[in-house]
Amino acid sequence: MRKKKNRINRKTVLALMALSVFFLLFVKLIYLQIFLHARINRTVDKMVNRENIEVPKRGDILDSKGNILATSIKKYTIFFDAKMIDNFESLRKALSENGIKIKEKKLEDLKGLSYIPIAFDVDPFIAEKIKAAKFKGIGFETKYTRQYPQKRLLAHILGITDCDGLGLEGIEKICNVNLSGETVKTKIIRDGIGRVIRNKLVDVEDICGCNVELTIDRNIQFIAEQEIRKAFEKYKAKKAICIVQDPKTGKILAMVSLPDFDCSDKIKDIKCLKNCAISDLYEPGSTFKIVTVASALEEGKIKASDSLYLENGKFKIAGHTIKDDHKIEGSATLSRAFELSSNIGMIKIAQRMGNDVFYDYIRKFGFYSLTGIDLPGEAKGLLMDVKKWNALTLPNISFGQGIGVSALQIINAFSALANDGVLLKPFVIQKITKCNSEEEIFEKKEIRRVVSEDTARTMKKLLKNVVNLGTGKSAKIQGYTVGGKTGTAQKVDHSIKTYSTKYYIASFCGMVPAMNPELVILVIIDEPKGSSYYAASVASPVFANIAQRTAQYLGIEKDDVNVLTREVR
Amino acid sequence: MRRSFFFVAATIIAVFVYLWQQNMSMRMAYKVSSLQTDYDKLSSENDTLRLKINSILALEKMDKIAKEKKFSRPDEKYVVYIN
Repeated sequence: MRKKKNRINRKTVLALMALSVFFLLFVKLIYLQIFLHARINRTVDKMVNRENIEVPKRGDILDSKGNILATSIKKYTIFFDAKMIDNFESLRKALSENGIKIKEKKLEDLKGLSYIPIAFDVDPFIAEKIKAAKFKGIGFETKYTRQYPQKRLLAHILGITDCDGLGLEGIEKICNVNLSGETVKTKIIRDGIGRVIRNKLVDVEDICGCNVELTIDRNIQFIAEQEIRKAFEKYKAKKAICIVQDPKTGKILAMVSLPDFDCSDKIKDIKCLKNCAISDLYEPGSTFKIVTVASALEEGKIKASDSLYLENGKFKIAGHTIKDDHKIEGSATLSRAFELSSNIGMIKIAQRMGNDVFYDYIRKFGFYSLTGIDLPGEAKGLLMDVKKWNALTLPNISFGQGIGVSALQIINAFSALANDGVLLKPFVIQKITKCNSEEEIFEKKEIRRVVSEDTARTMKKLLKNVVNLGTGKSAKIQGYTVGGKTGTAQKVDHSIKTYSTKYYIASFCGMVPAMNPELVILVIIDEPKGSSYYAASVASPVFANIAQRTAQYLGIEKDDVNVLTREVR
Repeated sequence: MRRSFFFVAATIIAVFVYLWQQNMSMRMAYKVSSLQTDYDKLSSENDTLRLKINSILALEKMDKIAKEKKFSRPDEKYVVYIN
């Protein structure tokens, strides 16, 4: 009986012990589940779940034929976690085999640091090779970097981005919102052996930025850059500009500003970033005479065949003497005065119109207002209020001095005449393609009619005569008729506060073919040095080379088989 | 007795299906994630190669090579432009 009692007691004790163990486990469980669950959840969450930021690829910039002008590609930053490295020397050797050199430092110097970047902008295939070796203590970060495969070509139009991919200049700036794309946050779950599950699949195509297609043709841009660079170097010019425009649509086909820069390199001189073709103002000189003549013709103040007395090349006005470079004795027709670029002829024509009418036409042609081009940094120009004009203002402006214009305004005014008198908005962006293949297409936009079709036709004839018989003979090209106007403008010398006899701007703006233009080209050489500074010998030959090559490249139908055969200089 | 057997069997099958489906979904998730990584890698490789093609065909570069090789420029009348 006693034995039985003892056995029961032992069983009871064992059961109680087991129960108490379970009870303790139960208590511990309650403690973990109720009191510690938040902290444990947080820890597990940190270990397993990671927030992943899917950075979008910045959109490409393409030319009108779809060639890539700017694109982004993934590059790697490689870093060390010194706490995790177990074999520093073999790691150093492997990196060195892949062209990554680490500064001579001992691992002991780096101990304690868990993020030591050692190489930037590493190509993906090199990074993958290093990754495959599975070294401990090495990490990889990806980042999109902007690349410009065409190097210097179109540098001013494309612009630049900062290290975070934000557009700072040019198309990169103006289309920053479109190009940037959308950053998406996703969650990834990492298991014990490092495998990853994403909670959301993100197609890189869906979040990437839009592609921007320009009106610029890479080949025309190259022709223009090559020819203008030759002249820029030959004449040791301060600046050189060339714009090629389609007058029927307003599309800019090429735009060059020198000096330029390489978008992929570090910018050494910040002044180079300025796109002189739209931001710099200059006194246009004789190319501006188209405004004087076209407005007088439109107002019926003169006809092409009307005779003008040209004062034997010297004309006194408001105490100043105006001279003509090409002295014409006695009288000449408007056509002849224009061919030989007579300043005195222009003054007399402008005087027939008066200040207010002339001022209105200057504004109508788009001067002293923004053209509205889709590029940042456009200058409006300089023009004194008509109420403040003195006795010399009208005569000066009639031959292109005393007014500040941008190269874009000049070519756009020529294009208005080439386009039968209708001024169009110049543009460089022709299409923005969104991620879902939706397209936003930009087409030609009329600003206003400046002169009638008749006046425009007369002007085209006059411009053709300038090239055939006047100052623009060196702009002739083989197989095509050319119309255009030379301009040799004196620059203001700020040290003597008057026009310099040393510094000039030589320019030529012309159209091909002369009577039905498909191309308008402007060439400006600022401060050419050497034996000649005249537009006829400095700017017109550059125009001719660009026009010849571009017209042939575009397959423009030849309209003049009688034009003298001319070698490309 | 038979009813309880069927009940137990059905429960076991249901549990098995549930576990199998859970297991498969995990496997698929791993597979999809790994495929996504491959896709990202390929599309990045594609971008790099496209850039390389454009860099090789850059007109400035070709002009430089032509100058280095001392190629002479042909007379404009012998040039045929292919658009």
